Amino acid sequence: MLLGKGRDGVILTVENLEVHYGRAKVLHNIAFKMDEGELVTIVGRNGSGKTTLLKTLGGFLKPSAGSILFRGQRIDGLGPENVALKGIRYVFQDKRVFGELTVKENIELAAYPIKENLEKAVQKVLSVYPRLEKFLHSKAKGLSGGERQILLIGRVLIGQPQLLLIDEPTEGLAAKIISEITAILLSMKGQFSMIVVEQNLATVARLADKIHIMKEGVMFKEITDPEMIRQPSQYENDL
Amino acid sequence: MLQTIFYGLTIGGILYIISIGLSLTFGAMGIVNFSHGLIYAIGAYTIYAVMAKMGINFILGAVIAVLVSIPFSYIIEKYVIRRLYGESIDYAIIATYAVLLIGVDAIKWIWGASPLPISDPVGISIQFLTMEMPLYRLIIIGLTLLILIGLSLFFKKTIIGKIIIAGLGDREAVRGLGIRLDKYFAIIFILGSALAALGGVLYSPISTLHPYMGFHILILCFAVVIVGGMGNLRGTAIAAFSLGLVMAITGRIWGPAAEAMVYVVMAFVLMIRPIET
Repeated sequence: MLLGKGRDGVILTVENLEVHYGRAKVLHNIAFKMDEGELVTIVGRNGSGKTTLLKTLGGFLKPSAGSILFRGQRIDGLGPENVALKGIRYVFQDKRVFGELTVKENIELAAYPIKENLEKAVQKVLSVYPRLEKFLHSKAKGLSGGERQILLIGRVLIGQPQLLLIDEPTEGLAAKIISEITAILLSMKGQFSMIVVEQNLATVARLADKIHIMKEGVMFKEITDPEMIRQPSQYENDL
Repeated sequence: MLQTIFYGLTIGGILYIISIGLSLTFGAMGIVNFSHGLIYAIGAYTIYAVMAKMGINFILGAVIAVLVSIPFSYIIEKYVIRRLYGESIDYAIIATYAVLLIGVDAIKWIWGASPLPISDPVGISIQFLTMEMPLYRLIIIGLTLLILIGLSLFFKKTIIGKIIIAGLGDREAVRGLGIRLDKYFAIIFILGSALAALGGVLYSPISTLHPYMGFHILILCFAVVIVGGMGNLRGTAIAAFSLGLVMAITGRIWGPAAEAMVYVVMAFVLMIRPIET
C-alpha cells in the first residue's frame, strides 16, 4: 500500500449519507466509493441534490447521518477549512472569484494556508492557462466567465491537492470556452481524483470514468461501462 | 462657512473612526453589533479616569484607553459575537444590545449618571484667514487621515487585509481554501473596537461624557454604515465625512435639525438603494 493511500486504492468512501435542510431531508442514503485518480461525474436535474452532495463532501454542510471516509479517515463533521487542508479542494459554481482582489492576490490567498511559495503558485496557475499572465495585476472581477473559471480551477491546483470537487465548471459558458475547460480537465485527469458535477452531457461523455445519476436526493444509477459513458443518448432519459 | 465645513470634517473624522469597526462587523460577519457603543464609551470614560483621577496626560491616556478596550472587545467577541456567526440577525441585536445595557449600568454604578466634562487637551487655536480654529480639531482631522491611509494600506498590502476583503465578498470560498476566517474576523473585530475606543477618546473633549453616550453615537454610526454600504470601506469614509458635513451645515442653519438631517439623508439613501437581505 502506498503511503497515505486508503485501502485498495480507494480515496473516498461515502456510506449511508443523509443531509437535511431544516426538517426537509434532501439527500437519502447516499453511498459510493471512488478510486485514486478516478474522475467521477455527478449528473441530474436541478434540485436533484448534486451540489448538496458536493458541499457535504467539502465540509460546507454537515450530514445528519452516515459517514465520509477520505483515505480511510472520517471527515464528516469537519469544517471546510479542515477538509481543504486535508487536500480536498472545492471549485464553486457561479465562478466565485474574489472580485475585489487582483488575479495574483486570488492566487496568493490560495497559497497562504498551505504555505506555498507565491511565485511557484502563480507559475502553477499559469501552466494551466498562460493567457492569465496579462491579467495578474488586474482585479478578478474584470475577468470573463471563462477566465474566472480557469482561475478557480488553477487556484485549487496549488499545493498538493488530492481530490478536487468541481461544481458545474462549464455552466453558462460559450462553446469555445467549454472545450478549453474540458481540455484542461482532461489534462488533469489521472493526476488528481476529481468529482465533477456537470449538466452538459457531451462534456460528461468526454471526461468521466464513472457517472452517478442523481434524482430527488438519491443515487439513482451508476454507469461504469466506458462504451455507455461515451454515448449520452444511452442515459439522458434517466435524468 | 469655512469654519462650519471644518467642524463638519472633525465630526466626520470621528464618525469614520468609530464606524469602520461597525461596518466591518456588519459586512463581514452579518452581525449588528450594539456593543460597539459600549466600547466607545469605555474609551471615553477611561481617558476621563486616567486624566482626572491619575493625572496622566492626554496622549498617554489615549493609549491606555485603547489598550483597556482590547480585553473587553476580546471577551465580547469570544463569548457573544463568535456564537452568533450564521445565526439570525435578531439574536445578534438582542445579545449585543444586552451587553450595551449591562455596560451602561456598570458605567452608572462606577461613575454616576451625571455628565462629566473633559477640557480641550491642546487648548490652542490657530488663526486661518478670518477665523480661529482649535488646534485639537485640526489634529483630529489629521489623525483621521492617517488612520484612513493606514487602514487602506492594511487592507491592500497585508495578507490579513486581503483575507478580510475576500471574506467580505465570499465567506464560503475563503473557508474552502483552508483559511480559518473566524480567526481573522476576531482580529478585525478587536481592531475595529480599538478604533471605537479611540473615537470615544477623541470625541470626549468636544462633547461631554454620560452613560448613554454609546447609544447616541451608535445611531449616528449606523446611519454612516447604511449610507456608506455595509462592509464598504471607501463608502464608510465618504459617508462619515458627508454626514459630518450635513450635521455641521444643518446645525449652522437650524441647530435642532442637525442630527435629524442625518436620518433624512439615510432615509433618502434607503429609498434609492434598499438594503439587500
